[in-house]
Amino acid sequence: MLERVLNGVGDMSRRAVRSPVTFSLLFAFALAAAIVAVTGGDPLAAGGEMFTGAVTGSGLRNTLGRSVPIIGMALAVSIAFRSGIINLGGEGQMVIGGLAGTIVAIYVPGPGYVIVPLAMLAGAVVGAVWGLLPAYGQTWLRLPILITSLLLNYVARAITGYLVRFQLLDDAVTLTSTRQVPETARMPKMPIFGGVSLSLILVIVLVALLWMVYTRSVAGYESQMTGFNMRSARYGGIDVEQRTVQVMVVAGAIGGLIGTHLIIGEALRFIDGELVLAGFAWTGLLVSLLAVNRPIPIFITGMFFSALQIGGLAMQRNAGVSWRLSQVLQAVVIVAVACRLAIRRGERPSTEVSDAESAAVGEV
Amino acid sequence: MTFELELRGITKRYPGVLANDAVDLAVRPAEIHAIVGENGAGKTTLMSLLYGLFPPDEGDIFIRGERVEFSSALDAIAAGLGMVHQSFKLFPTLSVAENVVFRQEPRRRGLIDRVAAVARVRDLADRYGLAVDPEAAVEDLPVGVLQRVEILKALYRDAQVLILDEPTAVLTPQERDQLFEVIRRLRDAGRTVIFITHKLGEVMAISDRVTVLRNGRAVADLVTAETDPAEITLHMTGRAVDLDRRAPEHQPDQAVLEVENLTVLGGHGRAVVKDAGFQVRSGEIVGIAGVAGNGQSELIEALCGLTEADTGAVMLSGRDITTADVAGRRAAGLAYIPEDRYGVGTIRRASVSENLLIGHHREETVQRRGWFDRGAVARLTRRLVEVFDIKTGSVSGPVSTLSGGNLQKVVVAREMEHRTPLLIAEQPTRGLDIGAIEFVHSQLIRYRDQGGAVLMVSAELSEILALSTRILVMFEGSIVATLDPRTVDEPEVGLYMTGAHLEAAVA
Ligand SMILES: Nc1ncnc2c1ncn2[C@@H]1O[C@H](COP(=O)(O)OP(=O)(O)OP(=O)(O)O)[C@@H](O)[C@H]1O
Ligand SMILES: [Mg+2]
Repeated sequence: MLERVLNGVGDMSRRAVRSPVTFSLLFAFALAAAIVAVTGGDPLAAGGEMFTGAVTGSGLRNTLGRSVPIIGMALAVSIAFRSGIINLGGEGQMVIGGLAGTIVAIYVPGPGYVIVPLAMLAGAVVGAVWGLLPAYGQTWLRLPILITSLLLNYVARAITGYLVRFQLLDDAVTLTSTRQVPETARMPKMPIFGGVSLSLILVIVLVALLWMVYTRSVAGYESQMTGFNMRSARYGGIDVEQRTVQVMVVAGAIGGLIGTHLIIGEALRFIDGELVLAGFAWTGLLVSLLAVNRPIPIFITGMFFSALQIGGLAMQRNAGVSWRLSQVLQAVVIVAVACRLAIRRGERPSTEVSDAESAAVGEV
Repeated sequence: MTFELELRGITKRYPGVLANDAVDLAVRPAEIHAIVGENGAGKTTLMSLLYGLFPPDEGDIFIRGERVEFSSALDAIAAGLGMVHQSFKLFPTLSVAENVVFRQEPRRRGLIDRVAAVARVRDLADRYGLAVDPEAAVEDLPVGVLQRVEILKALYRDAQVLILDEPTAVLTPQERDQLFEVIRRLRDAGRTVIFITHKLGEVMAISDRVTVLRNGRAVADLVTAETDPAEITLHMTGRAVDLDRRAPEHQPDQAVLEVENLTVLGGHGRAVVKDAGFQVRSGEIVGIAGVAGNGQSELIEALCGLTEADTGAVMLSGRDITTADVAGRRAAGLAYIPEDRYGVGTIRRASVSENLLIGHHREETVQRRGWFDRGAVARLTRRLVEVFDIKTGSVSGPVSTLSGGNLQKVVVAREMEHRTPLLIAEQPTRGLDIGAIEFVHSQLIRYRDQGGAVLMVSAELSEILALSTRILVMFEGSIVATLDPRTVDEPEVGLYMTGAHLEAAVA
């Protein structure tokens, strides 16, 4: 019995050590340390600042706060990826949903416990509509989602820009921005670690929900099978088009939720162009890729990336090393994981390959 | 004497499976050596070990008396081995010659010498009677020719030993005869051929010796001339199997599937199915015979809703399903065993149990309001694995670890479990061992006796003759004959398949 447990632990740690993610992390940190050293810095001190800056005091609060949009956008893109849909429109869905939520929060009167959920709902609905457009584009007009969803990001930016400049502008400030979200319509903060947005709970619930959906629901099964092999899924009677539409609606809705959260929970004003600056949709995309689109790994990886970014800022403040180094780290992790995955795929001998696949393979 | 090739005590374990158990195999120079055994007996695994795709857990490999250790297939190729896998690994957009010389291109002043490449490949092809045009693009070639390209690839690398894993499973009888001719020429030129098959007729026809694997062990090493199919079967299964028995007769009832004037257009706007009309009634098995590529696949895909028909009408149990999608057709009462078990019938990256669930996943018995009853799913999986004797280490493991025959059983088990009024079975026993074939045949007959209608396409004429109530023959997209299996024999059906009767009618 004990032996089995020990074996199990040994097995897990062996797998963790061999895992491409572990390798990539080590590699990335080593490279970052080398860069700091070569440019005349002290890698240990920089690393220390990065660590303490990310997980102590207000740093911890900030890490948790930033994890909300990163994990949220990663979840949104992961459900699309799992069904084999390349949805690059997360940004647009987030921005346009965010503005919708903001409008409700600013202009609809009422108590907070009504307005906050209502604003989130509005954000989700408008985000979903923004996801629906490319989905119908693909199922009705055969326009690839990959392209339309990406282009719609610019349309979303333009529409929100117009609305903010010409319809919703707050003349009282010099920013191109809406009015501030009234006190009552803001996302409440939980009294932990010095105030963490309630949206973190929302994200945790989403993670749990998606985990449930993919392990035990028909919808999750159909999505996953479609992502694995669309021909087989269709052959098995799965309505691939309908699933595509549903997935894009859910992905868009999550994007809209996150966009709304970012305004009514963080920025409090919708400043034109501001939402896209932090690049949450793209960080989320990388997180999802790294976590192979699984909800729980996405949660962990998202937290980690958030800590990396917050820690990077602390490092710049306290050790004088540019925060861009954490961006470099992020990028190196991704590239290293991708390489390792590619190499391992090459190694694995497959005795019998489908014709479709073998068509793409060459000599041994 | 020195053996061309010798394996001693080869063992390979997978979690829950002993794929090869201390296997000894001795192959003499210039012999054709057949390897037979039931599905999952370990044939493919043994050959992959020999070819250096992965190392054995235990055991040694000797080539011409010398012990070798391969760390990859490149080592095996260097040692004079060549392997043709069951599915091919070619670049579709390149020409035959380019595929053959890939990575060992003849060079002139540092550049690839295309003229020399074509010449060498043509020369090689001529020498062994492999009819291939070196300049043709691979994507335009039928399966039988692709296999020749793979053989050429091995010969170009000067393979002394050629390993063929179930090479005849995808061939028409004509192509198979041509392949045998090539194999004999190779042997006469002093090369050695190892040949995996489930068809004992082929073993008897072409091999010099035969090794039988059973549950991972080599249980017999026989000289073909001194044995017979019955003895080989006994070694393989431990019991006698009778395949030639004809299905007992059964009275068909009402029409389940009605097809009228069905025309399907192919890639170039050319009709690949022309004006097909027929019925399948409950309680009968209708067999479609035809040389591969005469419209059978296209007809079936159109019936299942995977491609669109151009004109015509399809009725299932009295309902018009002409414009229905696959889901709609399945709901109307149709199950389908597709020909391509790798690309369509199964999902490689999913588990065995997820694969067995395809198409059942919305049934009331396994889910309620969109959430699976995991106990019910496990019970369904376990039952199908047991009834069809699917050999698998674990049902939650990826389906890609199953042997070819066991993968086929997954598809057959799942589709028969639907118990729909109509079952469409395309090459239902491809890749199965004789025991499994016998089992699937008896299941098809039971399906029929319980009032099911079965539409079957098979490249095996014996299968068509043994099971069918009626035989439809397809030639160049048309149904050219409806035959009664009680009154025709194989050669006669063969004549219809080649369109010979049409010429006779014109003359
Ligand atoms: N990668 C793997 N992981 C786990 N089990 C495997 C793996 N590869 C093969 N097996 C198992 O090893 C056994 C032997 O498989 P193998 O493919 O050699 O059978 P085979 O004799 O070629 O059968 P078939 O006639 O059906 O092709 C099977 O039970 C199979 O499930
Ligand atoms: Mg095999």
